[in-house]
Amino acid sequence: MSARLKAPLGALTLDNPFVNASGTYGYAVEYADFVDVARLGGVSVKGISLEPRPGNAPPRTAETAAGMLNSIGLANIGIEAFVRDTMPRLRELGVTVIANTFATSIEDFVELAKRFDDVEGIAALELNISCPNVHAGGMHFGVSGEAAGEVTSAVREVTSLPLMVKLSPEAGDICEVARAVEAAGADVITMINTIRGMVIDVDRRRPMLGQKMGGMSGPALKPLAVRMLYEVYQQVSIPIIGMGGIGSLRDSLEFFMAGAAAVQVGTANYAEPGISLRLADELDAWLAERDLALTDIIGVAQD
Amino acid sequence: MKYLRTRITEVLTPAPNYKLLRFAGDEPIPARPGEFVMVRGEWGVHPVLPRAFSLVECGEFGSIIVKPIGEGTELLAGMEVGDVLTVFGPLGKGYDMDNAGRRPILVAGGVGVAPLLYLAREFHDAGTRSVFIYGGRTEDDLPLSEEIAEVADLVVTTENGARGEKGRVTAPLTRLLEEDNNAIVYSCGPDGMLHAVSDASQAVGVPCQLALEAPMACGMGTCKGCAVMGTDGTYKYVCYDGPVFEAADIFEAAS
Repeated sequence: MSARLKAPLGALTLDNPFVNASGTYGYAVEYADFVDVARLGGVSVKGISLEPRPGNAPPRTAETAAGMLNSIGLANIGIEAFVRDTMPRLRELGVTVIANTFATSIEDFVELAKRFDDVEGIAALELNISCPNVHAGGMHFGVSGEAAGEVTSAVREVTSLPLMVKLSPEAGDICEVARAVEAAGADVITMINTIRGMVIDVDRRRPMLGQKMGGMSGPALKPLAVRMLYEVYQQVSIPIIGMGGIGSLRDSLEFFMAGAAAVQVGTANYAEPGISLRLADELDAWLAERDLALTDIIGVAQD
Repeated sequence: MKYLRTRITEVLTPAPNYKLLRFAGDEPIPARPGEFVMVRGEWGVHPVLPRAFSLVECGEFGSIIVKPIGEGTELLAGMEVGDVLTVFGPLGKGYDMDNAGRRPILVAGGVGVAPLLYLAREFHDAGTRSVFIYGGRTEDDLPLSEEIAEVADLVVTTENGARGEKGRVTAPLTRLLEEDNNAIVYSCGPDGMLHAVSDASQAVGVPCQLALEAPMACGMGTCKGCAVMGTDGTYKYVCYDGPVFEAADIFEAAS
């Protein structure tokens, strides 16, 4: 990767700004046969909780206009199996690992952070305070500034890793949440997680998904995500990783110009598991043609 | 596993509402019967997800059979020679062809014919004669039956009686299993059919492998979208633990 693609995120600098989003790329090792996963800007791994989770009742996915809903319910192998079985392979492959963590209490978020602090090969910790798919959990931390600040500062005290906090578009005022997590010591903001939607199966006269609602993602979400990022950029000084419906170079440019220092690619991975590498190459060519570096275009669409 | 940009080389209409798409890329995708590929055309952002298909044929080219039932399959069914098809695979766990001396009985309905025609050809090439029970609602729901007849003993059922035996696949299956239960059953088709095939096989203690279908996003075991509850009380993932399962792992025996 060329130097013009470098994406500084405070203490951490990514070789390129394309990170694969949590929940859409497993633990990355699954793709190593046919994608050079070490070249990815990073991989935010499938959300990890203290204990393994089986996930929600099916059906868990439904397609929508230029997007999809998922109600996976954070099915995952748990931190113990991840650290023991998956991390050695990720280190061997040279993947830039962002440990995405999920919990339903501050104590559990703190415990996860403590345990990841000693694990070799973790580039950053990402707190998922915005999952819409788990009852009595997760998202309530992301919808108010006070709760988001509380969990962020509790984790900040116990981790030496760069700390990313992933925000929910369902916050009453996402700018307030962003300011709160910055004040509480977050190094980076990731935004946005999915927003809850519903599809009705008209033949069965019932919601399509087993859990009725699911998080909406994909291209349909992009204008909402860009608008929120544009607003949050004006309110905080820490770097922001933008996400929501990116599937092309131009999509990613919108996020960079709105103020994103890096981006995450999610739903588009399903159609093309190597898309982030293609976009990195396309961005490199686009910047080279204009004799620019990535950092020259961040936030240029702001007044 | 490979991710290939292929082109459609041939489009056939094996029955009024079915298309067979043949495609070729720079290299073949070496899938076994029952393994599948994720397929998508270059149609922009909607529908966003690829579709899962078992391969009918696999060699220099691959082929899939498409019945339009929604937006994605309608777009695929409308594709023409020369169009680009992105394909990745092979994925999942296919049929176990080790029949241990048992006579293979293949039971298909609708697009479920895809992996079973491939399987019947593989048994034929290995010198094993199989029975192929093929059920449709009408005579228009039996694509590729001539190809099946070339490699297996074909038994056809239609619900309206227009071709073959009137009724469903369960009647000839039950009869065959009563005659001789030194058999192994392989099936793919609509959910109701799979249930019935599982019941008929489990009732006489005959091993039975079913290929399931589920909406899926990744096809690789990573998104955890295609969960089905197994008889052991844990979720199985159709794309990764399957799509082919032992019937008893998915469906309780009928009491």
